[in-house]
Amino acid sequence: MDHRPQAWGRPRDDVYGAYDGSYLNNSGPRTVTQSPVVTGTSVIAIKFKDGIVMAADNLASYGSLARFTDVKRLRTFLGTTVIGFGGDVSDMQFLDRHLEELAVDESYEAEPTIDEDDQEAKKASQLNAGNIYRYLQKLMYQRRNSFDPLWNHILVAGFDSASKPLLGSVDLRGTSFTSPSLATGFGAALAQPIMRKYAATEEDAAKLTREQAVGVIKECMKVLFYRDARSLDRYSIAIVTKDGIELKEDEQLEKQSWAFAERIKGYGTQTV
Amino acid sequence: MTSIGTGYDLSNSIFSPDGRNFQVEYAMKAVENGGTSIGIRCKDGVVLAVEKIITSKLLKPGANKRIATVDRHLGVVSSGMLPDGRHFVDRARDEARSWRDNFKTPITTADLASRMGNYLQAHTLYQSVRPFGITAIVGGFDAQEESPVDGEVGNGPSCGAGGKNPDKKYGGPFLYMIEPSGLYWGYYGAATGKGRQAAKAELEKLDLTGEGITLEEAVKEAARIIYVAHDDSKDKEFELEMSWISGKDGPTKGLHQEVPKALREEAERLAKKSLDDSDDEEEEKKDGDKMEE
Amino acid sequence: MAMFSQNPLLNGPNYSFSEAPKFNAPEGAREHRFDPYTDNGGSTLAIAGADFTIMAGDTRLTSGYSINSRFHPKVFKIGGTTSDQKDATLVLSVVGFAADGEALKERLDAICKMYRYRHGKPMSVKACAQRLSTILYQKRFFPYYAYAILGGLDEEGKGAVYSYDPVGSYEREQCRAGGAAASLIMPFLDNQVNFKNQFIPGSGEGHALQERERRPLSRQEVETLVKDAFDGAVERHIEVGDGLQMMIITKEGIEEVVLPLKKD
Repeated sequence: MDHRPQAWGRPRDDVYGAYDGSYLNNSGPRTVTQSPVVTGTSVIAIKFKDGIVMAADNLASYGSLARFTDVKRLRTFLGTTVIGFGGDVSDMQFLDRHLEELAVDESYEAEPTIDEDDQEAKKASQLNAGNIYRYLQKLMYQRRNSFDPLWNHILVAGFDSASKPLLGSVDLRGTSFTSPSLATGFGAALAQPIMRKYAATEEDAAKLTREQAVGVIKECMKVLFYRDARSLDRYSIAIVTKDGIELKEDEQLEKQSWAFAERIKGYGTQTV
Repeated sequence: MTSIGTGYDLSNSIFSPDGRNFQVEYAMKAVENGGTSIGIRCKDGVVLAVEKIITSKLLKPGANKRIATVDRHLGVVSSGMLPDGRHFVDRARDEARSWRDNFKTPITTADLASRMGNYLQAHTLYQSVRPFGITAIVGGFDAQEESPVDGEVGNGPSCGAGGKNPDKKYGGPFLYMIEPSGLYWGYYGAATGKGRQAAKAELEKLDLTGEGITLEEAVKEAARIIYVAHDDSKDKEFELEMSWISGKDGPTKGLHQEVPKALREEAERLAKKSLDDSDDEEEEKKDGDKMEE
Repeated sequence: MAMFSQNPLLNGPNYSFSEAPKFNAPEGAREHRFDPYTDNGGSTLAIAGADFTIMAGDTRLTSGYSINSRFHPKVFKIGGTTSDQKDATLVLSVVGFAADGEALKERLDAICKMYRYRHGKPMSVKACAQRLSTILYQKRFFPYYAYAILGGLDEEGKGAVYSYDPVGSYEREQCRAGGAAASLIMPFLDNQVNFKNQFIPGSGEGHALQERERRPLSRQEVETLVKDAFDGAVERHIEVGDGLQMMIITKEGIEEVVLPLKKD
């Protein structure tokens, strides 16, 4: 009999076979995210004359399974910047926690050198959307360089140091760009052409009213819900202006029509 | 002090035969020399205030803050050795951060006080360290409503396990004071530093335990108490620094912030006025006495 | 039997975690592998004149068939002392993978700035060109996927263009096109800048034909060439279009011009 303490209470090797402790020593390669698991679909955003409207639906899919239906994919930072996440949800949560840490760091700063009632000066001393945009670009690029990417496509909306509206995009490879309207994933193919009809250039975008911009975004969300199989008709919408952020996280798509499109050529019986 | 200099005061972690730790008592002496700090817990928030003695005319007014933010909803003020206070804040920030990392939720004021109490107490146990030369006042407003968890995905349960019980009261304003020994209590009003006796006497006159006072009243009282506790004959100049924390629907939206300049100046004006008035009263009293003679 | 032996097993698993057998199952081929590169399209072009250099690039940024942005510059002033680069003397253009291009630009800019702060004078194009080659080669085994062109004025005040491959081999040239439409623009440039395949009429038969003599082009001529080259490229390449950004480097400084291109 084996009386060594290590053997106490253990099944007999000769009956049950030796303990397989292989899982303890994984000498395989270091594992990193090689593909996304639970994912969010498109994020879309458009500039208007006093700010930016952004939207994303509330769905997180597990492959083709609609896994979570109340996911908040639009995040705010310091009440001045909105960040929309497409792609892997766990990486989104990682980034969200990371940004939360940054925001707490910001609250430590007591700006002793400026007049505490001077709101403009206070804003200038805080991280703005331009800073967050660049920060996220560096972060995503660093992660791609170490072959451990954060599997997201991110939109950042807010105001830059010159108080101009900023709308930027960063993807999992650290590629970053700005545009009067932006869309990730399916939205790039389905929503972007619609948005570009209204805001082809910065000048066009600067003429759009808030109501028009919200209208365009809602229209795009509807098209995305019609055509993107990994989408949902419940969505979040954020409006960023100089006065702050209006974020609604449980909106329902309105005026959907699933009637038979008998009058559209190619669907009905008409031949001419 | 009876048994001073009998050799039991040379090291931390050594008790005297009558059961005292002299190093800790000396640390409290360091606190008693520092500018007065106070904290008031009122019904809708917490106010922290400190009497910042101006040690040099070359220091920039309004710079060199003494009240620090530890997490968004938590503030700390301390009396005693300034560098020790700084280290206290650094450590408190680390604790608050690791709490967030571990539990995905902000640390409560009570938990922070507990962590920091333990930390200070540990500095009374070893020969290699000295106790903190500060007494710190920690104020915070714990979220009353369901606050989003960091990186939260969905809504989660609204009540019961994983959610809040609708009939129960959560969060609110809290105030703790931590001494060099590691001792800490929760308070309605706390004072430490040079003018603590006068400040405590004034705090006791306020109705903090019953109906409570409003945050704005507390700001004005805090300013007045710092002015009352200030000893004109010993220290010439001082600056008043104040911060406050309200709930989500209050003026600071659940954040620890500096009291806005306008409100602080108004509170200082009232404080000075009430001091002048009470001086006049004393004068009158004296005059009256004379007349009676 | 091992079960009854007092000693640990010699071969086979035992009770200590450190002795647990190593798991070396062959890793099956991954279904999905992360590709760190993409091609963001676009084209660049640089031509050196007698006392000027023109650097140009389109402003479209693509991935696959989608246009990500219609205004994303590829041509940058490098090594100015301020963030607005108003006292810069060098220009870098990058095309290929945009994130690498940007990283490369920022690195070279930082190096040029450090040089300027330390030495009190801007880096010469020649020195900067060598340094850029080193930066690229340092990442030989995980290259910056970017085709860089560096432009400026040399020590004699003549226009200088240095062109690179992604791993740092470089040469000084009269002109160079890079990126998606390089193969469309380069032959045009050979003919129009270096007068390749141009002969003096009636100067002889076959090999006896005399080549047309090269002469330095004027700034006006070069600007027209650049515009024509891009108009041609836009017509024939889907990844090129939207805007044409030009930087003209002379001894007076750097002039920047942005012109429209077809957006289709």
